Amino acid sequence: MDFKNFELIYKENRHEIKDKQAIESKLKEIIGENNVSTKDIDILAYTKDTTLLAFNWVIEGKIAGLPDFITWPETVDQISEILKLANKEKIPVIPFAEGSGVVGGAIPIHGGIIVDMKKFNKILDINDKNLTVTAQTGINGMNLERYLNAKGYTAGHIPQSLYISSLGGWIAHRAAGQFSTKYGKIEDIVLGMEIILPQGEIINFKTIPRASTGPQLDKLFIGAEGTLGIVTKATLKIWPYPEKRALISYAFPTIENSFEAISQILRVQIYPGVIRIYDQFETERHFPDVEQAKDKVMVIFVCEGNSKLVDLEESITREKCENNLGVECGEHPVEHWFETRFRVTETSMLPTYKIVFDTLEVASLWENAPVIYHSVLESMDKVKGNLIITAHVSHFYPNGVGIYFSFGGVPPKEKSDLEFYQECWDTTIKAVLDAGGSIAHHHGIGINRSHWMEDEWGKSMKVMRDIKNLLDPNNILNPGKIYVNTWKRGEN
Amino acid sequence: MGVFETLKKYKWMVPLIEKADRITKSTLLKNFRLKKKNFYPEGEYKADIDNLIKCMLCPNMCRFDCGILQASQSETMSPGYKARIGYYLSIGKIDPTKEENKDFIDLMYKCTNEESCKVWCPFDFSVVSLLETVRDDLNDKGLMPDYCKQQIDKLNKTNTIEDYNIYETYKEKGIDNIETDGNDEVYYYIGCEMMKFPEVVKANIEILKKAGIKFSTNLKKRVCCGGPAFNIRDFETGKKFAGKNKELIKETGAKIVVSDCPGCVLTLTDRYNKAGIDIEVKVVHIVEYINHLISNDKLKFEKEIPEEFKKITIHDPCLISRNLNDTTSIREILNKISGLKIVEPIYNKEYVHCCGWSGTVHWADKEIAIREAYNRVKELKETGANVFLTACPLCELGLGYGIEENEKDKYKILDISELLMKLI
Repeated sequence: MDFKNFELIYKENRHEIKDKQAIESKLKEIIGENNVSTKDIDILAYTKDTTLLAFNWVIEGKIAGLPDFITWPETVDQISEILKLANKEKIPVIPFAEGSGVVGGAIPIHGGIIVDMKKFNKILDINDKNLTVTAQTGINGMNLERYLNAKGYTAGHIPQSLYISSLGGWIAHRAAGQFSTKYGKIEDIVLGMEIILPQGEIINFKTIPRASTGPQLDKLFIGAEGTLGIVTKATLKIWPYPEKRALISYAFPTIENSFEAISQILRVQIYPGVIRIYDQFETERHFPDVEQAKDKVMVIFVCEGNSKLVDLEESITREKCENNLGVECGEHPVEHWFETRFRVTETSMLPTYKIVFDTLEVASLWENAPVIYHSVLESMDKVKGNLIITAHVSHFYPNGVGIYFSFGGVPPKEKSDLEFYQECWDTTIKAVLDAGGSIAHHHGIGINRSHWMEDEWGKSMKVMRDIKNLLDPNNILNPGKIYVNTWKRGEN
Repeated sequence: MGVFETLKKYKWMVPLIEKADRITKSTLLKNFRLKKKNFYPEGEYKADIDNLIKCMLCPNMCRFDCGILQASQSETMSPGYKARIGYYLSIGKIDPTKEENKDFIDLMYKCTNEESCKVWCPFDFSVVSLLETVRDDLNDKGLMPDYCKQQIDKLNKTNTIEDYNIYETYKEKGIDNIETDGNDEVYYYIGCEMMKFPEVVKANIEILKKAGIKFSTNLKKRVCCGGPAFNIRDFETGKKFAGKNKELIKETGAKIVVSDCPGCVLTLTDRYNKAGIDIEVKVVHIVEYINHLISNDKLKFEKEIPEEFKKITIHDPCLISRNLNDTTSIREILNKISGLKIVEPIYNKEYVHCCGWSGTVHWADKEIAIREAYNRVKELKETGANVFLTACPLCELGLGYGIEENEKDKYKILDISELLMKLI
């Protein structure tokens, strides 16, 4: 097959490999004949992640990035050897597992070697006494969670991407699940890790509930998006499967009322597993049949765990909602959410109409949250071609929130789909920064946000780059992400 | 999702779109109008483009439960990617006539038909149902892979899926051939794959005799149901076998056809119907029929269960649990056996993982099929039971491949009829 038949999106600064056959032979020596491929059918399979714009590219016959080799290592030593070879030959290495990232983190924009982690899919140990599970990081999230469920546990990490993401991907992108208000985000859940550094050295962070042993170096790798090392094994917290669930929903006159109610709930240390605020547009979208929620802001809650605690949490949650003008809407909206939360259909429909769309999540302290919400909506309204901007809020802390914005539109004639997409992203992020928010809550940086990192981190970004250079002097691990401006701000 | 549901789902967008400027609205309307022109193939085709597009643009929500993906651990085998390649082959983005693109054609056959994807699909289809429509176009272009042609050749030469007519081996296998007198109550329809397991066939014959059923097997006239031809989408061959079977069944006068192979049941019913052929009698799998016999006191368990079979696990054949939607018959029967301990595997009933031996993958890529079998056996071993009870000859074959050579004495794959024979 001729890849020239497919337009390549990220084609600049591709790493040219002089003797591909020699590299292929060396890779085969390391991991065996059957664990390396340069076949077209395999190469094409690894040209994208789940960045939503990539779905438009798929139907238009475009590919995001083009790798040179696909590898499926089975041991940490094999990964270590691949990295040593890549350093010697200065070839990019891109860790890949389920490819569910939505910011381009796993797109091989400079070509190179894909290290597919899928064969690292074993659950190694469940420890009831310590309440931990140890697993290899290529394991699919749903396959980990449903195995735990069958044994009477949950890890409590249930992102919408559960069916299509991996443990390694969660760690790489510093993920957060739908039940995170109770169980925490991935950085709260991971207790220990095995990591292979860019030059092939294998290091371990032992499993411990907490330690005072100097700076917590392990945290550096949670959210590093495969740029500082490849995480091969992790130990997570687990919990007994909840014995009771309370499903609660209230409709509020304004988003500010809903913020206030939830802030008051968390202030007294009530942590419902799930809290989700839908702005008026999203309330109409998801709950058109709920009369009490017409033109209002729907909020759903799931309290779960020990029966007595759930009863108490439910009672306080209801009290705070009613104190803030909430109108009770029953269990049905929450049941509807449970039924539909993994039934994603938009990606299958919108690209066929050349609609460019996406969701992006940002973080904010309580005091800035209403400003961020309104200013993003206002700014996005001005983007030519944009049709839709809505929001929901799905991650909460006593101190603030994570807000999700969804946009969709058709690029105007003078812009490509990528240029329009970049404009929508940049407009949102600029509005968030101007209002005092953070540019990403739990999807990570990847390609889409790397050019905003200086604004987000300020001078600390230099320290981050120094660390990257120290660990990965040849810049072979997942280049083009986090530390460099792959997208050029303002030029598109 | 139907048109009405789609419109309802996107109704909330209308006020937002109404606010848009004239040029944006007009671009959007144009995109709606030109959807087919922009993205559908020209000329005549059989590929289900609508659903191939939906599948390839889905974030692959079924991927975690795709047995082939789990066996291969390669993105290349993911369901959404298969749909994407099916789409590219259909629109000519990848030219199927070029020898260098043979791998892409082969991918259209690397599926077990297990349909676990359908359980999770937001659009309620199985990926194989889409791939089959791509196979239709490939067949029309004369691009059927050689390993499929070989199966069709066997069917045409021997009337079965073997190099020889496997039904003719009944004597040497000690299987009783019961000829019809044209007035049967039941026609026991033995699958050609089940002829590889004569002990199961003999057990079924004894069970039907014990229950006092008037039945025949008519082995001298038997031919394959044609299932493999329907999988390959050679409808001409499939219909030829359907015609032969219709005649054969009619000859017996039976009001009900009972088969030991769920693949045969599915072919005689669903696949024949879709090909426009109605055999006009009820067709059931033998597990359902035996459950009916037990419930009507026609069969009784009179003997104690042997020690070695007291603890078993169930491997639900996916063709029974997901295609025939029956996960209760086998359990209702087993729950009536005193002294039997059933240890369910984690993935069971409609969530069962396939043995690897259904569909076309074991022809297209036997190594992956064996790895899928190995994965399933691993799950069954985790139950702690050494007896794997099933009710499908393909599962017996697949699970057999999944057990390591040095463990063949430790684990036993047993058809439910073989167990029942020891008790009645």
